[in-house]
Amino acid sequence: MISSPWLDHPAVQGGVAPLLAGLIVGLLLIRTRFAWIAVVVGYLVMLTLSGDLAFEPLTASRKVVLAGLGAAGAGIAIDAIRPPYRWLPAILSAAAALAAAWVFISVLRQREGAAFVGAMSGVALFAGALTAAVLRLRDDGIRAGAAGLGLGLAVGIAGILSASIGYLLGGVAVAASSGALLLIQVVARQNLAPGYTGALTIGVLTSYFAAATFLLASLPWFALPLFILVPLAASLRLPETWSQFARAAVASAYVLGAAVLPILAAWYAARGLFT
Amino acid sequence: MSKVLIAIFAALVPAAATAADAYTIDPIHSSVNFKVDHLGLAMIHGRFGKFNGKFTIDRAAKTGGADLSIETASVDTGDNDKGSRPRSRDEHLRTADFFNAAEFPRMTFKSSRVVFTGETPSAIEGNFTLLGVTRPVTLQLVRFKCNPATATAKERCGGDARGTLKRSEFGMKRGIPNIGDDIALEIGFEADKD
Repeated sequence: MISSPWLDHPAVQGGVAPLLAGLIVGLLLIRTRFAWIAVVVGYLVMLTLSGDLAFEPLTASRKVVLAGLGAAGAGIAIDAIRPPYRWLPAILSAAAALAAAWVFISVLRQREGAAFVGAMSGVALFAGALTAAVLRLRDDGIRAGAAGLGLGLAVGIAGILSASIGYLLGGVAVAASSGALLLIQVVARQNLAPGYTGALTIGVLTSYFAAATFLLASLPWFALPLFILVPLAASLRLPETWSQFARAAVASAYVLGAAVLPILAAWYAARGLFT
Repeated sequence: MSKVLIAIFAALVPAAATAADAYTIDPIHSSVNFKVDHLGLAMIHGRFGKFNGKFTIDRAAKTGGADLSIETASVDTGDNDKGSRPRSRDEHLRTADFFNAAEFPRMTFKSSRVVFTGETPSAIEGNFTLLGVTRPVTLQLVRFKCNPATATAKERCGGDARGTLKRSEFGMKRGIPNIGDDIALEIGFEADKD
């Protein structure tokens, strides 16, 4: 673990460092179709600074890291090859759903019967649906950046309200690195399409963060479907003729408005208003 | 007939002389407590409300063993009421940031050797498993005593064990150094002979 008073601060680990990493990687790769590697790099920077980058024993939380790396790797490979498969987003969403069952099996098997089946199918369905919703944004960097920002903040804030600092940091890291890419697009006045590299990474990471907060902390189950509204909000009307700044501002307003809903669900559940 | 009795007696005597006595921990009169430094200012004390265990002791052979299984979700640091906060400290301790009770509902201690000083066990060497990680831990027995059986009660033994572990070695790193790495364990136990 890297250690210094500044680097030990959660705001630096989860926010400042991933933002800077996102800016550096995004600018370095701005002329390629892989600038959105910045999202997984920002996440890895957070893990390194917080000392959470380890894989033994392979707990559910560590499988989430592996799944995020796998999603980024798969996205890079797909964007490099560009296979002409129409059903690729659906296949990737189904793979994200199946992988969610593998990621969380060690937690799910502590439950029995209907509770096991319900939690397993619910988590898999949620991961697949959220990943599919983010993949729909893969050609529009502004929409995808806003979705990453909104989802990261929603998952992170809902995480801390559900007593999980680890997933607060994870969510904020995705928000910060997505925000960095949003900023680069506004300043450079160009669209950096996230492709599968960015969209698959954001979809898998944020859906698994939310599922982990539900299974390993205290996030209520009914907050999960509300997260899907965030990428759907990023799909709302956003004319191509607008400036990048105006598109980014309006898209961010859309997603932050939607992000309030799962946060409120976590907040009210924490205050016992649903029990 | 007498030869058969002699043979049975001869077989039983050495067995009785070397047999270990087994005891089951009485959770009502036992406790698993811990303390950890907070901000270098004070020790925060906590306990686990649910656990079970057994131990054996063979005084003649000066050997023994102990198993302890603790429910991680039963952690209690005296902050169960969240009040106006979103979550209490005990709720946070149960999440994946600390004990990860949903994935690892139990932590265990299994002895590998019991050290005797004279006729009395003085330490238990063993392996502590927490968050799926197993590390050697030695519990010092600062007291161990047995009360003989009476007409109305079984033989009962008890004692106090102390040990220290570094939580970071088990992958529990959240909050270090503000919340200390060293966890001091204090286990008080009473057990009836089986």
